[in-house]
Amino acid sequence: MTSLIRLELVRALRNKKFLFFSVVYPAVLYLILAGTASKDSKVAGTSLTLPTYYMVAMASFGALTAVLMGNSERIAKERESGWVRQLRLTSLPGSGYVLGKISSAAVVSLPSIVIVFVLAAVLKGVTLSASQWLALTGSIWAGSLVFAALGVAIGYLATGDAVRPITMITYFALSLLGGLWIPTTGFPTWLQNIVQWLPTHAYSAVGQAIELGHTPQWKDFAILVAYLLIFTGGAAWLYRKDTRTA
Amino acid sequence: MRCMTTTVEAGTATAAVHFDQVSKSYGDVRAVDGLSLELRPGETVALLGPNGAGKSTTLDLLLGLRNPDQGSVRVFGLSPRDAIVAGRVGAMLQSGGLMDEITVRELVKLACDLHPKRYPVADVLTRAGIEALADRKVNKLSGGQEQRVRFALATAGANDLIVLDEPTTGMDVSARQAFWATMREQADQGRAVLFATHYLEEADEVADRVLVLHRGRLLADGSSTEIKARAGQRRIAFDLETVDEQVKEKLRKLPFLSSIDISAETVRIQSTDADATVHAVYGQGLYPRNLEVAGLGLEQAFVAITAAEEAKTA
Repeated sequence: MTSLIRLELVRALRNKKFLFFSVVYPAVLYLILAGTASKDSKVAGTSLTLPTYYMVAMASFGALTAVLMGNSERIAKERESGWVRQLRLTSLPGSGYVLGKISSAAVVSLPSIVIVFVLAAVLKGVTLSASQWLALTGSIWAGSLVFAALGVAIGYLATGDAVRPITMITYFALSLLGGLWIPTTGFPTWLQNIVQWLPTHAYSAVGQAIELGHTPQWKDFAILVAYLLIFTGGAAWLYRKDTRTA
Repeated sequence: MRCMTTTVEAGTATAAVHFDQVSKSYGDVRAVDGLSLELRPGETVALLGPNGAGKSTTLDLLLGLRNPDQGSVRVFGLSPRDAIVAGRVGAMLQSGGLMDEITVRELVKLACDLHPKRYPVADVLTRAGIEALADRKVNKLSGGQEQRVRFALATAGANDLIVLDEPTTGMDVSARQAFWATMREQADQGRAVLFATHYLEEADEVADRVLVLHRGRLLADGSSTEIKARAGQRRIAFDLETVDEQVKEKLRKLPFLSSIDISAETVRIQSTDADATVHAVYGQGLYPRNLEVAGLGLEQAFVAITAAEEAKTA
């Protein structure tokens, strides 16, 4: 199985377009969004500065891009081409393919997080304690597994031309409504009440709590774990269904 | 009694492939219908049938890519999946896609890494005749080159059975010959080879044994010579001036008939020896007009065999 993971990784790193969108794009977006904001301007309703807010938002966005976009389209395409069938003629365990996809996505998502952090610290003067930096990296990286599972589920749900629009709609809706692009504190109250249940909202809320030096809320952890279970369960169910009829 | 039971069990355990009353339907379509067959280790067997005969489904069932609705499939006494995990089966599928954006060598290395009884990558590349392509990207290959890469994946380790689904599709004549030469080497090493094809000639040249599949059933099982004799029928058609009972009687008594159809003045015959049958038509004092004699296509030959089978069971 390690040889498949290694090969998936080599392939992801060779794919310039994918690397650009998952690694460079969030960093560029961070510079644009946080670039005009002064170091002290606060996000309405919180004590977070804009550069700090956008640091977590864009690191999360980058990780989300890497694991969601990479997985769903590839899996759908490879199911169609018959590569998944071909792999089933090897000794690779059934879940090995999916694990390979998630692992390689996780490796690609790490630099996208770190690059945004480095830019924020060097160019925008964001300062945090060493333990905060570590906790942020760890939580954003681990949290991206939730969306990796979602990517796998979409890859097994959709086929052909449908997979791209479904992924894009999910991706934009989750990013925008979850507060990865603009703070949700600016949303009307009724909308805020809804979006607080989104996985992306909980995802960035955990990061923001760490930045503020607070203990992240149990509610947000619970939301992330619940989504992880739903997406993994859904992906596993769709995978088995696909195996029976492939 | 006890002794007999033991024998049957031992027979099942040593068979390379054992299908027992296997059925598989897709909706209303019965792709495989009560199929029973057994392959012995070391045999080269062709699975012959027209498109839609159930060949691909049979191979899918054999490889555990689909589960049968009824019946059981064993490969070397194991479930298909266990046989693959044990490295006993290698397969080349028509529908088998390849991982793209990596080189041929990387892909073959992956197949070797995943095989419990792997061969060195260089050997696999050489045997499949793709050393020259080793550094090329998988998505930059022609159809025939892709087939050779698939063959490399199917022979990445020491399998006891190699399964091939229409392996020479997209290959030109010389590539085809080279392919079968490689395949014979595999068979000579004591491996069982099962391949699906709709070319009678291919089955004839390569296989020790030919299984004819039609509508998901096993129609014939024998050497290629036997099958060819059955499928090697010819079609005769002619018109007669008048067709009365007396003439009909004469027609039905013609030699080597396998079927006859008389409608108005037109007579259609299928014969296992067209020359002798036509000769006899004249011998009966009949004067056929618009006489046509043509070979049966494989598909028509199958229909002829099916008709014969159905007549037998009726």
